[in-house]
Amino acid sequence: MLALIYFLILGVIAVGGALCVLLSKHPLYGALSLVVTMLSLAGIYGLLGSPFVGVVQVMVYAGAIMMLLTFVIMVLNGARDNRTPRFDKISLFVIPAIILMALMLSFLILRTPLVFNPETARGTVSLTAATLFDTSASGPGYFLLFEAIGLLLLSAMATAVILAKKKLGSPETSDSEEVH
Amino acid sequence: MMEIINSKHWIEWLLIVAKFAFAFVPVLFILLLIPMERRGAGFIQDRQGPNRSYFWLPYFGRIRLFGWVQNACDGLKLFTKEIYAPNGVNKILFALAPAIPFVIVLISPCVIPWFAPMVFTMGDQVVRVSGNTVDSEVGILLLFGLSSLSAYGAVLAGWASKSKYSLLGGLRTSAMTISYEVCLGLSIMGMLLMVGSFRIDDIIAWQEAHVWGIVAQPIAFFCFLISMIAETGRAPFDVAEGEPELVAGFHTEYGAMQFGLFYMGEYSHIGINSILVACLFLGGYSVPFFSQTTIQANMGYSLAVLCGVFILLILTFLHMIYRYSRWYKTSAATNKTVILREYSLYKLLGWVAIPALAIIGVASALFIHPEFTLVDGKAVYGLGIAFGTALIQILVLLVKACFFCFVWIWVRWTLPRFRYDHVMNLGWKVILNIALVNLVITAVVAKLVLGGN
Repeated sequence: MLALIYFLILGVIAVGGALCVLLSKHPLYGALSLVVTMLSLAGIYGLLGSPFVGVVQVMVYAGAIMMLLTFVIMVLNGARDNRTPRFDKISLFVIPAIILMALMLSFLILRTPLVFNPETARGTVSLTAATLFDTSASGPGYFLLFEAIGLLLLSAMATAVILAKKKLGSPETSDSEEVH
Repeated sequence: MMEIINSKHWIEWLLIVAKFAFAFVPVLFILLLIPMERRGAGFIQDRQGPNRSYFWLPYFGRIRLFGWVQNACDGLKLFTKEIYAPNGVNKILFALAPAIPFVIVLISPCVIPWFAPMVFTMGDQVVRVSGNTVDSEVGILLLFGLSSLSAYGAVLAGWASKSKYSLLGGLRTSAMTISYEVCLGLSIMGMLLMVGSFRIDDIIAWQEAHVWGIVAQPIAFFCFLISMIAETGRAPFDVAEGEPELVAGFHTEYGAMQFGLFYMGEYSHIGINSILVACLFLGGYSVPFFSQTTIQANMGYSLAVLCGVFILLILTFLHMIYRYSRWYKTSAATNKTVILREYSLYKLLGWVAIPALAIIGVASALFIHPEFTLVDGKAVYGLGIAFGTALIQILVLLVKACFFCFVWIWVRWTLPRFRYDHVMNLGWKVILNIALVNLVITAVVAKLVLGGN
């Protein structure tokens, strides 16, 4: 019962934030609404018995990625986009697609039997670790994927550093602005 | 609903609610940090610092409390000033921005353990109360996530002010937060790898069983400390509000208590970070050289030693007062009668406190004989002993944290401000690499020595 109340509150905030992302004219407001959505999603993850995923959501998405996005919006001076119309010709395709997808999703959700026990732990630290790294129990699939993603991110970081260095040229000025 | 209430003993519910009061400890650190900063700056720069503000007592005259009254003056000034927003600012975000760091400061200490889990008998029941408000297994990750959110306050303030200086300050804050968040996370990973848990109480228990983190991971300690200082945005890393370049950075347009909230958020952030460093690398609440069982078994003597430590501190204070009095008596200062009158109050309080503490100490050593019941082969004591242990542990934690508070001030007034690109170079080219190498070496050594999987 308590979990349901929390879920309703967080769900309303999440959906409202997502709507604000679509409807706000200014990019910074959109980014801020996205932060609110991310935070309430983190709360829902915690409610589902996976606090680890929720906290990672706060750290990575709300903390780092959205901060980066705000940085970019402020650097590019997004205030100029204030006069972009909310609906234009492309909306003719986008809006029906969104409605269709919402209908399909709601059909799926209504058809699935919802057996939900909030007491079960789904994404605890030890459970996540066991799923990822205990290859004898869950097979090597997750482990290989994890390593591949790690390699990809590392190479992306190295590439960003090299690209930034090439563009700025002189070794004294920092490649700081581009790296993160 | 009733079964939730009945699932715990009433004393457990009481303590759970009471633990919410710990949310205000970082805010109370402001009371310590402002005089410490101002007088500490004076001490380092060989001047007095603000020590003239006073309140008046009937016999003793002007009581200045060594600059402590300055707190009240600062607060009163900020509270009574008019809240003012320049023309053309974004009203909602401008008002919202100062609240963000302060709210984060109030909710982030929830995962810090203030004392070891209290286990005591109540009637015929064994009650266990954890030392942190939220006993979650993600512990320190939650703290990092929240502290990265607090930079939104500065970013939004910079943007909403509609001022070029503020905007640049906000930009620099966001860039620095992203950079140093990475270093912060990576430098602590070696420690977490050895402990094998995100819970701060597990980290402290590991340090109690082995060695302090500062001995096990000295490189990580320095990386962590530097990233922490950078993350609070204080000098030498205060590029976001560098006066020569940006007037006052992101809070240029703020005044009165809106500025005060930024100010308080910054100082409370220092408090939280000091407590965190103390927890991760200095053994947190664990008392050096004594295990918790020893303290609980000899609670009377432990309290006596605690009283002895307090008496020693008061004697040091009195020695300082007497030396100053002697100096003032021979000097030609025009206000020496006023100051000597003020000092007589400190002398009186000191000489009252010492016998009182001595009596309490002797009485506790004589009359406290803890009785225990054996539960699963471990001695479990009553409520009073558990409270005594918790008190000692909180004091130990706060002393360690206060030391780091001084480190923050020490660094600020010793080093000049770094240039923006120097800060970024330090973060991305030096600390990040050192932390990565440290993590790899720790992993290899831990695999070879400790033999985990």
